[in-house]
Amino acid sequence: MLLELKGVQKRFGGVVALRSGDLSINAGEVHLVMGENGAGKSTMMKIIAGLYQRDGGEMKWRGESVNFANPVEAAKVGIAMVHQESLLAPHLTVAENIFLGRELSNRFGLVDRGAMFDKARRLIEEHHFPLQAEWKVERLSPAGKQLVEICRAIQHGTSLLIFDEPTSSLSEAETHEVFKIVRTLRDRGTGVIYITHRMDELRSVGDRVTILRDGETVHSESMSTLSTSSMIRYMVGREVAALYSREPVTPGEELLRVHNLTSPPSVKDVSLTVRAGEIVGMAGLVGAGRTELCRAIFGLDQPSAGQIWVGGEHVSIGNPRDAVRHGVALIPEDRQKTGLARELPISWNVTLAGVPSKYGVLQHGVEREITAKAIERLRIRCDSGAQKAGRLSGGNQQKVVISKWVSRGAKVFLFDEPTRGIDIGAKVEVFEVMDELARQGAAILMVSSELPELLQVADRILVMRQGRLAGELPGRTTQEEIMRLATLPSSGTELEL
Amino acid sequence: MKTVQRLLPFITLIILVVALSIATPHFLTATNLSSVVRQTAVFNIMALGMTLIIISSGVDLSVGSILAMGGLMGTMAMSKGQPILVGVLVGILTGGLFGLINGLAITRLNISPFIVTLGTMGIVRGLALVVSNGLPVHEIPKAFSYLGEGTVLGVPFVLLLLVVCAFLVHFLLDHTRLGRYTFAIGSNQDAAIYAGIPVKFHTTAIYAIGGLLTGLAGMIEASRLMTGQPTAGQGYELQAIAAVVIGGGSLRGGEGSVVGTLIGGFIMGLLANGCDLLGINPYWQQVIIGAVIILAVSVDELRKRRAV
Ligand SMILES: Nc1ncnc2c1ncn2[C@@H]1O[C@H](COP(=O)(O)OP(=O)(O)OP(=O)(O)O)[C@@H](O)[C@H]1O
Ligand SMILES: [Mg+2]
Repeated sequence: MLLELKGVQKRFGGVVALRSGDLSINAGEVHLVMGENGAGKSTMMKIIAGLYQRDGGEMKWRGESVNFANPVEAAKVGIAMVHQESLLAPHLTVAENIFLGRELSNRFGLVDRGAMFDKARRLIEEHHFPLQAEWKVERLSPAGKQLVEICRAIQHGTSLLIFDEPTSSLSEAETHEVFKIVRTLRDRGTGVIYITHRMDELRSVGDRVTILRDGETVHSESMSTLSTSSMIRYMVGREVAALYSREPVTPGEELLRVHNLTSPPSVKDVSLTVRAGEIVGMAGLVGAGRTELCRAIFGLDQPSAGQIWVGGEHVSIGNPRDAVRHGVALIPEDRQKTGLARELPISWNVTLAGVPSKYGVLQHGVEREITAKAIERLRIRCDSGAQKAGRLSGGNQQKVVISKWVSRGAKVFLFDEPTRGIDIGAKVEVFEVMDELARQGAAILMVSSELPELLQVADRILVMRQGRLAGELPGRTTQEEIMRLATLPSSGTELEL
Repeated sequence: MKTVQRLLPFITLIILVVALSIATPHFLTATNLSSVVRQTAVFNIMALGMTLIIISSGVDLSVGSILAMGGLMGTMAMSKGQPILVGVLVGILTGGLFGLINGLAITRLNISPFIVTLGTMGIVRGLALVVSNGLPVHEIPKAFSYLGEGTVLGVPFVLLLLVVCAFLVHFLLDHTRLGRYTFAIGSNQDAAIYAGIPVKFHTTAIYAIGGLLTGLAGMIEASRLMTGQPTAGQGYELQAIAAVVIGGGSLRGGEGSVVGTLIGGFIMGLLANGCDLLGINPYWQQVIIGAVIILAVSVDELRKRRAV
């Protein structure tokens, strides 16, 4: 037995994040930890990794009672963690981040940059990560940052490696690479704790699973004997349809028309339309230009060519303000950086895009109502709207970001990876919100790398490849069909260098 | 424990009052107290503007120079025969103008507030010396002294001014869209941009408001000295920033309050007054003030780290 937790507790002020956490990890196994948003998974992991100190309960490392005062102590016995929220130094390079705090030094005691970059380069090559050791981390996409975190965690020998939702921002290929790493580590006798909300991943990587609900360990079983439906039941505490399916609506008027939009270097000559009541999926590999397309429509990047119509009106969108004024909303991919004001209360975040006011004076009563409604409608798990948004669990933060636009009453919604990091219960809730918005006449463009999800929700699916629209498929297509469009250059397409 | 830490500035203030009352009989006298109030009013009014700026995660190093410029322009207008009210207005608007210039430079040139206001700190001071030829303005109507020295029913007029300004800024912060956006911009500027908030416009407005308040402080200072001094207000930026930070404002933005700033301002005022009364070398005062700033911020950091 590598690690054992019994009845571990953690409180934050009045909030009980972990009521009674039990967990036992063996060397050489991949142990999944599952649970809804806010169940206490990350909290439990941070206690193991020495970031938080427990308020009660027992923790044993190789049979001995331990207490890590900080991550350095945990690292000393061989525990490392890949975090859910990026904890990198944005202004430093990939290599410097990988070795941050453990810089290699030469015989004069100075930092040996050459050796560090060499080692980083080898690490990156070995795993075929699309990274360069010299790149600044701030330039990286969320996926890229995640990969840096992973490099950082595996670069020095560990006996227990914790992955907190490592793949929520990764592409299919990168996910497979991560799985490969996980399996290699396991075969070398490393214990791996793996947190994910993606049901499709579980079977391919996990040996055993422990399920948390409301801060308590409710079940632990071998993966091979546990059925998906009972797993969901343990997590949610009620029956949930694992598959969401949407009744398509008859589309109404055209709300968004994009014509020959080009936004160098990532978006080339894209045309598309979305009608009221429609949910249009947007598939493609990471780097296909989907996020950049959303940015260009939302006025964050300046397109070099192309036109946009919103609600039949030819508009020129020079910045996000124009977009918001025309009723366009963007739920960004990078929630931490661009979606959430962490230090501000939930309610302020909910009304960020349209705080209720008269002649510039706030209407606090209306704001409270809007917040209460948003919390109820999206089932945001919190004490009250006055709580700081940054204190919520990852999934609930995402719901806060979405709620901002729902309460603003936008017409055209650009969802960029909307379900990243949120649990199945919440996913269905987000889908329901999208569906409801569509039914009330909104047009929705949904970028997602999770194909099953697109197939469940979208009325039609556009596929992007290398900045261009590679094709359109009906909602009831197959994953294979999407992947074919996303990867293969179809005949007639000129190759670009 | 947490509430104790949050109340720490207030408790410190009380302790200071009690300690000074015990230490010297000269402290709790009407003349001394009203002089403390008058002294701190100038800092506090400036610090109110600084509160907005710091919450938006900016900083304004040029307030000392702007204060001098405001006072100078106002008194020059009066010496040229303008009525007092017009002179005061000129002083306030001069402050507002330079605040506006700061805001425009920060938002349009996309330069950090630290650099921009470091520059304007020198520029405005230089301009003040240029227009005045380095000489103070003395020909001021006698009645002008009322602004800084007058009383209403025994209460110093500046105290009333301070209270009014504090109420206005408090209202602005907690009850207007501008105030809300100030917090949003300070807490996460990218998120504010993504939410369609006109970040540049509001940032500019914040600096302009800070400038107006600084201009007013400049007129009060001029009234107390009965001169328009091109060299007035040197080092005041430190006082104003300190008041905000001691009162719980964070230079990382998104945090701060009017009440906190006022308490911070009075703590600074009492420290200076206490040093005077106890005959402590004024050079030491600077050391003490610097130490208090570091102490206040470290206590605050400790509180936050524990709350994580
Ligand atoms: N620093 C904190 N301060 C206050 N409350 C916190 C803090 N961190 C977590 N919580 C609360 O503790 C609970 C558990 O959070 P945790 O992050 O462990 O959830 P999780 O299971 O990892 O969820 P997710 O799947 O959304 O990441 C949540 O209700 C959250 O709001
Ligand atoms: Mg988590």
